[in-house]
Amino acid sequence: MSTLTDLRIAAVGDIHLGPEVRGEYRKRLHGIEDRADVLMLAGDLTRHGTLEEGRLVADELRDLPVTTVAVLGNHDYHSNQQEAIVGVLRDAGVIVLEDDGVVIQCGGTKLGVVGGKGFGGGFAGKCASEFGEPEIKNFVAHTRSIAEAWKVALKEMDADRRVVLSHYSPVKETLHGEPLEIYPFLGSYLLAEAVDTAGAELILHGHAHKGSEKGLTPGGIRVRNVALPVIGKAYAVYCLD
Amino acid sequence: MEAPQYVAARIQQALAEDARTHELGIHVDVRGDQLFLRGQVSGSEQRERLGQVAHETAPDLKVHNEIKVVDVSEPGEDEHLD
Repeated sequence: MSTLTDLRIAAVGDIHLGPEVRGEYRKRLHGIEDRADVLMLAGDLTRHGTLEEGRLVADELRDLPVTTVAVLGNHDYHSNQQEAIVGVLRDAGVIVLEDDGVVIQCGGTKLGVVGGKGFGGGFAGKCASEFGEPEIKNFVAHTRSIAEAWKVALKEMDADRRVVLSHYSPVKETLHGEPLEIYPFLGSYLLAEAVDTAGAELILHGHAHKGSEKGLTPGGIRVRNVALPVIGKAYAVYCLD
Repeated sequence: MEAPQYVAARIQQALAEDARTHELGIHVDVRGDQLFLRGQVSGSEQRERLGQVAHETAPDLKVHNEIKVVDVSEPGEDEHLD
């Protein structure tokens, strides 16, 4: 049973909506206000990242009875329409994080959410570094700048509880089930390091369809992979007691 | 003759890059003239499209489409993080 002080976070990633499932996901959100205080979407909302799909996602999420926060995923960037997709989602009442944060008033509690797409690079001891060709340097620098932005946003945020929302994974535990060879494309330890430094209670991510739900950062922050194929339901609910 | 590993890699690349599918997580195995597709997708149409793109990429192989459609069920039990 939830108490009045609990924060109930519904979360899902990788819903990959397309025209033939129009209206189906929305049906699964019926009654969400009885189960959760906020809905968080961990990226890959579309299949090809077209504006048409972005509008479809916006319609599915429009004016939900709970505050809805989303980040984009790599699929949502594929057609180079990411800014337009962010626009239609915001018009539908969805808060979209782009390496920044938002504070949501949930009853008497201020819930701070920081996040964005995140990026890859791999995990400590087995990762890319800013060395060699400019393409590799740019790859790692992209992740590094995202991690830095999250750290600053978390530190500057005036909130009672803090949660991080990402598409890429901050740890490898939640990738368990994926081929080891592709781990560097699934996430980066730099994301976990930033959140461990600044502090948060929970990190939510998607992206790794064959991964596992539960993991932990080196600093002891709970990580949950909420990719739809991993959780196998419309959304998972996590209660911050 | 092209080594089966390269055929499988080419099919996997087609499934990821073809505008009809853009599916990154499909496991592709080639054994002789048999092609096996495994993984999970969110709808049966996507499963059929993946089979079609794989077939077009390697028309001489017999496609065994073992991709599973994930059934999105109602939200279940909450997890308490205390």
